[in-house]
Amino acid sequence: MFLALREIRRGLVRFGMLAVAIGLLLFLVLFQQALQQGLVTAFVGAIRNQSAPVIVYGIDAQRALQGSMLTPDVEQQVLAVDGIGEHNRIGETTLSVRVGDAADATEASLIGTDGPLGQPRELAAGRAADGPNQAVGSSVDFAVGDMVTVLAPDGGFEVEVVGVADDVQLSVSPTLFTDYATFEAAVQAFNPDAAEIPASALAVAPARGVEPAELVDRINDQVGDADAVTRADAADSAPGVAQVRQSFQVILGLYALIVPLVTGLFFLIITLQKARALVLLRAIGARSGVLLRALFAQVLMITLAGIAVGVLLALPLSGRQIGGLTLRYDPASVATWALVFVALAVVGALASLARVRRTEPVAAVEPAGGAA
Amino acid sequence: MTPPRSDGDAPVLDMSGVRKEYTVGEQQIVALADATLTIDHDEIVALIGPSGSGKTTLCSIAGGLLTPTDGTVEFAGRDISGLSARELTEFRRTSVGFVFQSVNLVPFLTARENLLVVDELGGRRRGDRAAARRRADELLGELGLGDRAENLPAGLSGGERQRVAIGRALMNQPRLVLFDEPTSALDSTTGDQVVKLIRDELKARETSAIIVTHDQRITHYADRVVRIEDGRVDNEPVSDDTPPEVAGGERA
Amino acid sequence: MRLALRELLRRPGRFVAATAVLTAVAVLLMFLGALLDGLLSASTGAYRAQRADVIVYSADAGASLPRSRITADVRSAIDAAPGVAETGGLGSVQLGARPEPEPDRRDLIATALIGYELAPSGLPDQPPPPGEVIADDSIEQEGVTIGDVLLLGPARTPVTVTGFVRDTQYSGQATLWASLDTWREVAGANRPAQALGDGTVQAVVVRTDGDPTELAGAIEAAADNRVEALTLADAIDELPGVSQQRSTFNQIIGVTAVVAMVVVALFFTLITVERTGLYGVLKAIGASSRTLFLGVAAQAAVLALVATALGVVASLALAAVIPPGSIPFQVTPSRLVTSGALMLAAAVIGCVFSLRRVLRIDPAAAIGGSP
Repeated sequence: MFLALREIRRGLVRFGMLAVAIGLLLFLVLFQQALQQGLVTAFVGAIRNQSAPVIVYGIDAQRALQGSMLTPDVEQQVLAVDGIGEHNRIGETTLSVRVGDAADATEASLIGTDGPLGQPRELAAGRAADGPNQAVGSSVDFAVGDMVTVLAPDGGFEVEVVGVADDVQLSVSPTLFTDYATFEAAVQAFNPDAAEIPASALAVAPARGVEPAELVDRINDQVGDADAVTRADAADSAPGVAQVRQSFQVILGLYALIVPLVTGLFFLIITLQKARALVLLRAIGARSGVLLRALFAQVLMITLAGIAVGVLLALPLSGRQIGGLTLRYDPASVATWALVFVALAVVGALASLARVRRTEPVAAVEPAGGAA
Repeated sequence: MTPPRSDGDAPVLDMSGVRKEYTVGEQQIVALADATLTIDHDEIVALIGPSGSGKTTLCSIAGGLLTPTDGTVEFAGRDISGLSARELTEFRRTSVGFVFQSVNLVPFLTARENLLVVDELGGRRRGDRAAARRRADELLGELGLGDRAENLPAGLSGGERQRVAIGRALMNQPRLVLFDEPTSALDSTTGDQVVKLIRDELKARETSAIIVTHDQRITHYADRVVRIEDGRVDNEPVSDDTPPEVAGGERA
Repeated sequence: MRLALRELLRRPGRFVAATAVLTAVAVLLMFLGALLDGLLSASTGAYRAQRADVIVYSADAGASLPRSRITADVRSAIDAAPGVAETGGLGSVQLGARPEPEPDRRDLIATALIGYELAPSGLPDQPPPPGEVIADDSIEQEGVTIGDVLLLGPARTPVTVTGFVRDTQYSGQATLWASLDTWREVAGANRPAQALGDGTVQAVVVRTDGDPTELAGAIEAAADNRVEALTLADAIDELPGVSQQRSTFNQIIGVTAVVAMVVVALFFTLITVERTGLYGVLKAIGASSRTLFLGVAAQAAVLALVATALGVVASLALAAVIPPGSIPFQVTPSRLVTSGALMLAAAVIGCVFSLRRVLRIDPAAAIGGSP
């Protein structure tokens, strides 16, 4: 430790820069992972955090609630399947709203259900809707008491936000959960030409003794036009989510790759630069192990310092909104990434460790090469 | 300050018939053909000889940096010719001091730290560390470096660096110190200083030494001058007055 | 400076480390850029292809095509606005498609059928006859060829693909371009709740010979502000996700460039330490600090260019390897050039940091030799 610390103290700038580089890389990784999480939540929070264990879409929707539609015929077929317990309809429509006195209109999703299934599982404030023209809104977009005007060519109507819930957006839009009547009214108001208003999906709880996954398979086997999916799968397989995940995997992988490169090359260079000093130390009786431990200690210290820098940079962004997404850090994945970075740094430093091991004490008696 | 004598009257170094060969590609290179050398307690030996004569190899073997191909090397009664690399490292740490010709100091350690590092390598405990620090400061004081203790090698003159190296060589209270051309890079005034210091410090501690040198000042006060040529040690005493050039050395 | 470049040529070894890391950073920058371009391209193709200057939505649509309705009378007001040369209606409906041989397929092809009047680039001036569509060529990945019949939506409305067009995706989906009549028929059969009456379209695109921004204002006025008119560029920015993706990615790219800067600074500082002696000698024989610094900057620039070149090769290789459709990825020359410029800037700024050491070198002390 003596050698390790002394060398760092005399070269604070260089070691400091390495720590900063590692810190920036960790910050980028953590930030992008939080971004990915936020993105997925903003896309399918409404699905992931609602109360129905099974959702039945129309097959044409490809698991997107907005494009989903169930004709009464298909509904009947689904309800005839064995193993269904409680159930109710879900109706979704995307519309323009004005919140309170806001000057501009914004896009919002309105999800109406004619039963408890499909509503947010947990409220952050306020209460659930108990009649028409009341709504539970996504907490980042609405506050309890907001009066939301559903805009329509002929004027539209108002909905009162009586409760809010966290992480319940659909497709990165402000989302309102209402009863079914409000949903139908919204569709009608926007498009008086609407001939029929079918449900978008069915929210289903399996009967006692039936597993959600089992029920899903049964429905899919028996009803060709329906696409049943468990709540967890519904979130994961929503369109765009898989793509987002894959893209981020590649990006995060590339960032992680830079860590062993930077630390490895840094330590290799400084090891080569102090080759003579290493030879000297071995000659005067330093065990190989002592020198290896010193190098290892440096790698650990600098990497941990870098991790501290990265976490400090990332922390202020926790809870912040970026482009409509809320960034949230998961302590478990932060810890995992910290460990990964340490492992990567050590792997990178293997070449230097090998070089230190190869130091020959007898080289001390050889004349120094070059311009000395 | 005198190191304890070990094993009664066993000589500090007893090399007998030592041979060192290298295989380089298809060739056999004989660095030392037949070296026999005995060094007693409190004896300073100057080693002279032309380049390529095997001086460096002899010192390397004497100091435990190399293992001989043949022959025996006894250090204070203990055979070191068969020791493993690990054991040799331990041996060097406890029993030998080195002052090399080229790099002697660790560039990122201060003068004091360069002395302390020897102690640190032994992994002493906290109490001993204070004692080691005191000893380091004493040594630095004796060497006239009391006010340079906090300087890095880059902030020391050539002569000062050499003196720190001597201090470092003496830190672990060795039985034998090996010097490789200690004054060749110094001007005459500084050289005088260093020559005197070497003598004073060694004699004060009754520490033996092998000094590879062409410096007449050193050959003059050495207890013995030994010649080496073509890998063989010539144990015939060389007269003090023989100039090193005639004795086979190069111009200083 | 020539000395510096000569050093690079004769002793590339010591710079290899820095180049290796910079190449990794370059690949990252290019990959991020390609991802952004892929996402944007897939979102905006249909709009970028429009050969029009302004697009008009209904006022409360929030600049969103599916939520916009322009009735016939509003349309006439638009047609009559000053500066309007030509107008065309647009209508869209997003449905899942099945190739005819597989009417019960469960894994559908995501499509957006768009009815048009004013032809976007690549499409015929006269929209295809009823029941026929021209498809965006991204649908070829699904094995669809000319002459194939697609069954659209729950109603399985058949349309025949009679041609392909490049780069016209909408919201990441393959588009099917058709006449407004075909659109109304398909939408009516599949989305009864959203069907629009005859004469009503979702949006109107407008061509002008004058200034698009003025035209937008004029149109809004002419229609009593029942509409929102945007220049095409503004409309593209308003497409869902576009501006957020752009700003988020650009921020990430920016920070990554800073990483490149730190890496260059780090490695050049390491290298400079070794060469204090050399710099001292150079200064003693008359080289100014400025000359030395320019030499260092030149080396950094060369490294950045080499790293960029290698990065380009790696990016193209990656693009070839990634199966189309799995990740939105598009390598464009302009993005590669921008990434290269970023690397260059990062490298030169990064080596400014080693400048302070170069300035501090005292020629006299340096010649004294290292300890």
